[in-house]
Amino acid sequence: MASIFRVQVYLTDKASRRLPLLLCFLAAMVMLMPCSSRAETSYRSVAGPCHLEFPRDHGPHPGYATEWWYYTGNVKSGSGSPFGFQLTFFRHQFVPPGDETGWPKLPSAWRTPQIYIAHLALSDIMEGTYRHVEQMARGAVGLADATSDLEKTSVFVKDWSLEIRHEDSIHHLTAVAEDFGMNLILSQEKPPVLHGQNGYSLKGKAADSASCYYSLTRMSVHGDLVVRGQSIPVQGSAWMDHEFSTAPLESDLLGWDWFSLQFSDRTELMIYLLRQKDGGMSPASSGTFVDASGTTTALVFQDIAVEALDHWQSPHSGGSYPVRWAIKIIPLKMELTIAAQLKDQEMNTPGTTRITYWEGSVSVKGNGKDGKPVTGEGYVELTGYDKPLNLP
Amino acid sequence: MKKAVFLVRLWIWFSLRQLRSQYWRTLTVLLGIALGAAVFTSVRLAVNASVDSFANSMDTLAGKADWTVVTPGARVPEGLVAALQKHPAVETASPLLSTYVRPAGNGGEPFLLIGLDPISDRDMRQWSSTGTSERGSSWLTLMRTPYTLLPGEKLSERWHKAPGDSITLEHAHRTVDFQVTDILEPEGLALAEGGGIALTDIATFQEFTGLHGWVDRIDLRLKASAQNDAARSIAAMLPEGTVLEKPSEARESGKLMVRSYRLNLSVLSFVSLFVGMFLIFSLVSLHVTSRRHEMAVLRSLGASSRLLFFLFLLEGAFFGVVGWVAAIPLSSFLVRRLVEQVSATVSHLFVRVQVDQLPLDPLEAASSFALTLFVSLLAAIQPAIEARKVHPREVFLRHASRENGSPAPYCLALLGALLILTVWPLVRLPAIHGVPLSGYLATFLLFCGFSLLSPWCLHLLGSHLPPLLQHVGGQPAYLGGRYIRDSGARMALSVGALITAVGLFVALVIMIHSFRGTVELWVEQSISGDLFLRPKMSEINRYRDPLPPQTVQLLQDLQESVEIVPYRRIFLTYEKVPYQFEALDLSRLRHHASLLFLQGHPENIFRELEARDGILISEVFANQTGLGVGDHFTAQIEGTKLDLPVLAIFRDYRTQGGTVHYPLERFTKKSGDTSWSGARLFLKHPGEDLEAAALALKNEILTRSGDQAQALEVTTGRDLRRIILRIFDETFSITSVLLLIALLAATLGITTTLATFILERSRQLHTLLAVGASRTQVRTMIIWEAVLMVITGEGIGLCCGFFLSYLLIFVINRQSFGWTFIYSVDWTALWISLPLILGTALFAALPASQLVFQRPASQVLRE
Amino acid sequence: MNEVFSSPIIKARQLTRIYRLGQVEIAAVDHIDLDILPGQMVVLKGNSGSGKSTLLSLLGGLDQPTEGELHVAGRDLRKASPAEITHYRRSSVGIIFQSFNLLPTLTVLENTCLPALLAGKPSPQVKARALDLLDWLKLTARLQHPPSHLSGGEMQRTAIARALINDPAIILADEPTGNLDSRNGEIVMELLWELNNKLGRTVIIATHSTLADRYAGLSLFLKDGVIAEYS
Repeated sequence: MASIFRVQVYLTDKASRRLPLLLCFLAAMVMLMPCSSRAETSYRSVAGPCHLEFPRDHGPHPGYATEWWYYTGNVKSGSGSPFGFQLTFFRHQFVPPGDETGWPKLPSAWRTPQIYIAHLALSDIMEGTYRHVEQMARGAVGLADATSDLEKTSVFVKDWSLEIRHEDSIHHLTAVAEDFGMNLILSQEKPPVLHGQNGYSLKGKAADSASCYYSLTRMSVHGDLVVRGQSIPVQGSAWMDHEFSTAPLESDLLGWDWFSLQFSDRTELMIYLLRQKDGGMSPASSGTFVDASGTTTALVFQDIAVEALDHWQSPHSGGSYPVRWAIKIIPLKMELTIAAQLKDQEMNTPGTTRITYWEGSVSVKGNGKDGKPVTGEGYVELTGYDKPLNLP
Repeated sequence: MKKAVFLVRLWIWFSLRQLRSQYWRTLTVLLGIALGAAVFTSVRLAVNASVDSFANSMDTLAGKADWTVVTPGARVPEGLVAALQKHPAVETASPLLSTYVRPAGNGGEPFLLIGLDPISDRDMRQWSSTGTSERGSSWLTLMRTPYTLLPGEKLSERWHKAPGDSITLEHAHRTVDFQVTDILEPEGLALAEGGGIALTDIATFQEFTGLHGWVDRIDLRLKASAQNDAARSIAAMLPEGTVLEKPSEARESGKLMVRSYRLNLSVLSFVSLFVGMFLIFSLVSLHVTSRRHEMAVLRSLGASSRLLFFLFLLEGAFFGVVGWVAAIPLSSFLVRRLVEQVSATVSHLFVRVQVDQLPLDPLEAASSFALTLFVSLLAAIQPAIEARKVHPREVFLRHASRENGSPAPYCLALLGALLILTVWPLVRLPAIHGVPLSGYLATFLLFCGFSLLSPWCLHLLGSHLPPLLQHVGGQPAYLGGRYIRDSGARMALSVGALITAVGLFVALVIMIHSFRGTVELWVEQSISGDLFLRPKMSEINRYRDPLPPQTVQLLQDLQESVEIVPYRRIFLTYEKVPYQFEALDLSRLRHHASLLFLQGHPENIFRELEARDGILISEVFANQTGLGVGDHFTAQIEGTKLDLPVLAIFRDYRTQGGTVHYPLERFTKKSGDTSWSGARLFLKHPGEDLEAAALALKNEILTRSGDQAQALEVTTGRDLRRIILRIFDETFSITSVLLLIALLAATLGITTTLATFILERSRQLHTLLAVGASRTQVRTMIIWEAVLMVITGEGIGLCCGFFLSYLLIFVINRQSFGWTFIYSVDWTALWISLPLILGTALFAALPASQLVFQRPASQVLRE
Repeated sequence: MNEVFSSPIIKARQLTRIYRLGQVEIAAVDHIDLDILPGQMVVLKGNSGSGKSTLLSLLGGLDQPTEGELHVAGRDLRKASPAEITHYRRSSVGIIFQSFNLLPTLTVLENTCLPALLAGKPSPQVKARALDLLDWLKLTARLQHPPSHLSGGEMQRTAIARALINDPAIILADEPTGNLDSRNGEIVMELLWELNNKLGRTVIIATHSTLADRYAGLSLFLKDGVIAEYS
């Protein structure tokens, strides 16, 4: 979900660094727009129903400032070694629609309004290691792009790619970095889950502080991971998010905690918690429960109770992240304990885009819907814990 | 250790106090050696600064690239970037474009505009802007807003532009308003070209220059895990004509071009040090002679002969060390003046350099110290050996007497002749790695050989001239002549300084005259044309931007009244030798101009060229590559393969390497490249005032070009030829400075030499007084001696200079730069300057002649 | 005063030194036999060119004999290597010259110290001895003066101090009074006699002058390189 707020971090400049993390997005957006008033009106905004249709809406949505295709999953090798993986493609439009009119009559092929970023991470739970790397390219001259037609949707950044075959909803992820990578086939097992009101997912008080947001909450995975040049055949389960928006995060927010959990009874739970600067939770925090048949239950702020049980301080960024939680979903009588499979799963890219957040594989046990005992796995994303960026 | 301490102590007692008491002489010699060391050091530093600035620029431009993809003579299609980026061994593929552009308006100095993709570039090159501590917004602004740029600090200061200001830039084809986004931090890439660069987004660059679809090169960084054969598999995916190069190659080929120039200047500057060496020799040997008795006393008191040897060697070392230290302020004064000139010359001749700092290289300082010390020790070694020969029994001799041990003048002359003869086989040896070592050795042997001839010449003069001298100058002249006759071998080395300086002077006067004469002829015949037309900044952008099609059309419309000779010029390398390939309309050109062929009649050569497919190569290219008439030249140009016989060799003095001429129509046919790099225009009906007609044509072209006019550089033939000759003269101004310093040092040499001879003979001179000579007569005698000495030095120097000029023109220039000239002597300059040198030298003799009567006669005679 | 029974400190047999001047050979010292006992005071007399200086330079190790044997202070100077002869000059003889031969760039003290420093003796010790000697020779006031500031007598006294600095057994003096007035000549002769008489040095003086006659233990008269007369 909340990756919408990530793209901004690397865009920060000296002025915006003085602002809390979440303001950075706003600052960055303003900065990106040569004339903010015009720019604000020229980007498309999400202020009402998203009318999502598939497979059409797997494809890119230019005109919105930010968009991502986001895959996380937990897999096991033939010998039973567990791995967590993340592959995310971000699209960021840094020139508002309409500004192209100011371009030279015969523009260069390099002139583009889009930048693409991709994040790849692999958590080797047995070995206790977390590898991560990113790629970035302008959306031009074949370096990066996102396209969609009747047959397929494809997104790529350099040689990392995502291909969604519409006919049978097979997602093909390929990303190989210097010493690790993956080549995975994901099969959709449940229909798309539209969050909020049919995909219109409110992220603040204003009507346009929102995104269009859907998930594929359960996908079976098979394929190969590559670790130090060795191919490891794996199988498991994955989760996909696709979200697009133009809205900046509201100014009183500090960061967010996002959970995607898959339970042994084939149900799933997604919750996001928007943390306010005053320490409380924003009322816009919410979630979705998906039962085994794919039927969804929307959860609101009051339905969710979360307590952080343990913390871990990052030696890289200095941020102190919760790594164990107790979560209650009151109306569904769910009581869960969630624990990070590895403490250090911090995506930290100081040399390049400077995006810092915690994104990691977690295990879960406790009582599922209606108090029945369940186990499960999932992914958690934590932002705004990175101390230097939080300094006023 | 104890011995060394004692040696130094004794040296202070024995030598330093003597040097201090005769401080004028000591200072003169110190000044001489300091001048030599300063010239040598500062020339080296200045050249190094240029070379370093070039190498640094190339390195910062290359960044962390492991490989670079280029198309020799052309550009690389941008589509390759993505293809390369997806190769499994490639970590980053970053495209780069660069060109010299300049602010619009008069006097805008060209600077290097670099176009890159800020995202791919982040792994390749280091740069950041001042406004943001992270690359942050400024690079994004470059990408987002067309026509924005990030200038280096130096440029923004030069332009007085702050972030947000706009500046109008002109390139060969367009003039556009740019906005300054921010200023680059002075680090990494921003230091290339001495800080005179600006960055822009690749999209803006292409839109500005019209190079849509193309990049100059693609820099590659391979993954750490890339296999050894990665380069081969990458190369295999490149289109024909596009190659994978090591990024250092451009730097190395540039450095190679400058190497000969650097070496030539070093050798030339070493001459000053060499002249300084004569000064040390002359003073130390004076001391050895005049203090012979004291040395005998030392021997009688128990000093070993070795001790005396080291005592005088130490004296040499003293001059070396103190001279070098004294050279430091002199060097820092000189180097500031030289560096501008040297970098201008390097830019004119070889590669564009922008020197922004003068790094003090400890290695260079150490080596100049070592060389100065070495030269000083070398100068002192012969007198020190002489000191070793002092026998203790000489203590009983009442007065210093010179042992008559020195070889007879004719023996020295024979040795000298032998050395001069050795030059003959030596100059036939080839250069070693492009360095004319044998040429330099031959130069050294010439100086030594001619110096050794001098005692014999003096002896001859002294034997046969005195009767005549008596007739002209009376008794003093007669006595002066006699003294010269008997002055012996030591004179050889003292006059040697003068011979070296005069020899060098004459040789350079002849060389520069021949060079200029030949270049003038070449300019007149080969650079003929009434009007020259090319895109702006063609020279510094290496003719990579052809004339716009509208201009070509305009020229073709003018054909009624004007003959057009178009050309296509491409910069290439042949087996690592940089050269210019020039396809030009030879059949039209030959009606108006000619080439200076080394051999063969132009008519026949042009006829042959019409009959068969072949190329003409320049002398420089022939010498640098070893290609000769009949050999086959192969090249890959813009994807077209050429394999052609060499039909003739012509003289060419354009800078930046050799030239290959090929008929334009044939090139167009083979390559399909119809573009023109430029054109020469010949008026069909010039009328009476050619210059006025040319100017009128220029105005017509500019007017009819409309918007295109600002992209064109139109020069009249007369102006162009004048510019070429001006650059030529500027290039040699540094040589003249070095020459003057060598002459100055030699003049100091004359002062010391004469002083030496006078002090040595003060008893004899006073005896002359005692037997009735007047002071004036004695002084006149000394002046006559000086006249004879200087005339001998100049005479021999003149001969030496003629030999040397041959050596310079036909050996050293050919081996260093690949060209030779039509030999011609500048008699006028010699007629004027030789008497001037004579006068100066005699003027320098005056203070010496005053020394004679410093001490009362009675005291001198009583000793 | 002569120690009759001791062996000679200088023993020459058929000692010859021939110089070549162009085609001509001149025997400056011509087959001389000579025995000089330790502690003797010897005066060499004879005209210019009689061979006095040549004999002195042979005895002082400044020159090498052409023929014959020469043993001085137990050393065979004929067969000695250059290094041994240098050592001999440093340790066994002190030489005083008519023209003093002081080094003009050195002070009185430095001139005096020089032979001992050349012999490699430690500087403080040398300086102390030199100061003693110069005190004895009444030159204390002149220590830091260069020779050009001295009178003839002072210069020769400095030369004597220099000759004594290494405590040599033999003092050779070549016309020591030749450049001095009679009063200073007397003083120098007195000093030499004192060296011989009180300190027991072997002193050999080559001179024209009759000043030395009354101190001589042995007088030799040289003529054309041959000893013409003993007395």
